[in-house]
Amino acid sequence: MKLGVIDLNTGNLASLLSALDRLNLKYVICRNDLDFEGVDKIILPGVGAFKDFMKKISDKKFDKILIDKVKKNTSILGVCVGFQILFSSSNEHGDYKGLELLKGNFVNFKDKDINIKVPHVGWNECDIINKNQLFHGIKNNSDFYFTHSYYLKDYNIENVVSQTKYKLDFVSAINKENIYGVQFHPEKSQSNGLQILKNFYERC
Amino acid sequence: MIKKRIIITLTFLNGVLFRTKNFKPDYRYTKNFVDLWSIDELILIDISEKKFSKNFLELINFFSRNCFVPISVGGGIATLENADILFKNGADKVVLGSGAINKKDLIEKISKKYGNQSIIQSVDCKKIHKNNRYTVMGSSGTENLLQNPIEFSINALARGAGEIMINNIDNDGSLMGYDLKLIKMVSEKINSPILALGGAGNWQHMLDLLSKTDISGACTQNIFHFTEESIFSAKKFLKDNNIKVRN
Repeated sequence: MKLGVIDLNTGNLASLLSALDRLNLKYVICRNDLDFEGVDKIILPGVGAFKDFMKKISDKKFDKILIDKVKKNTSILGVCVGFQILFSSSNEHGDYKGLELLKGNFVNFKDKDINIKVPHVGWNECDIINKNQLFHGIKNNSDFYFTHSYYLKDYNIENVVSQTKYKLDFVSAINKENIYGVQFHPEKSQSNGLQILKNFYERC
Repeated sequence: MIKKRIIITLTFLNGVLFRTKNFKPDYRYTKNFVDLWSIDELILIDISEKKFSKNFLELINFFSRNCFVPISVGGGIATLENADILFKNGADKVVLGSGAINKKDLIEKISKKYGNQSIIQSVDCKKIHKNNRYTVMGSSGTENLLQNPIEFSINALARGAGEIMINNIDNDGSLMGYDLKLIKMVSEKINSPILALGGAGNWQHMLDLLSKTDISGACTQNIFHFTEESIFSAKKFLKDNNIKVRN
């Protein structure tokens, strides 16, 4: 098995790599299409705005590679904005399409209630709705670190792994076949987060 | 439910960990004191004259490799390139000093590249005793920016900051408690996560802050608050008093 971590030169890849190093997990960093050679498991970390992130992916033609890899049964774990772009679209700074691997649209917490403090930053609980290998060995309602302003709507309920309460219940982890995604940052969530990364590597 | 964050602020002078008092270095410590597993978040501030030194960047790297919680880094950020260096060395967020508000497009540029969630705007305040009003201070607390903390915060958020960190310079290192009046005044008018810094002397001060205001996190830089079991016991005390904190 060969794990590839996608580097789009946005923000802090260092913490994710530190976490993988701590777990003694081997990986390659994917900066161009040749780096994907032989990769059969992918982590897509993401920070920043949905639109900019998606643009970086399509400029590098990674969108086609990712869609193709996923079709050929490569497991993918999207993190934060990397989780968001697995879905149909987001209305962050306009209306932008994602990779459309999963059904759902992201909207701002403020669209629901103007008084909600955004971004949603801090440690919050994941309530596991559907038992999943990604959460193997993790107690229900464990805390993970979140930082985001958009949440998922119009999704398939059967794909939801966990949800989290922030005035409303939103989807914090998802899985459909070989596609996995988490809204929180496992690399910033201490033991529970490290366990998620280990589970993805070993079990997903 | 979202938990209240207990955040450690560490200040470094030439790569050495110091506690500060009224924004000046006070006692020195070693980084090995820090209990990396109980804290919810870490803020590292460089108070050296020469910023972005190899020493300091190595420290960011050390913490990034050893504690898997968010790390915010500040001290002298004046350009996007300054921020780039910090992110590259392991920062998840940057802390902008109050004076950064006068740097043209700085907040906009950082937030465009790294997102709003990557910027904590520090709002360093002082009470003007003549008229009993608060003002925001820049240049490490030496220059009166002649702005009130609420307008200042609203402006920073509109330009792309994600969180506000309120500090009363006179309470810094005082151990007399947070300036609840100031913190309340700002937090009531602002719809973003707010952190408070300056003055924590005991757990009761943290409890007062978290029970009497609706802010998101309490910062402390008193070393006695985060060695060995102390964050653990702080959290137990807060939990016993019905504050939601992370286990």
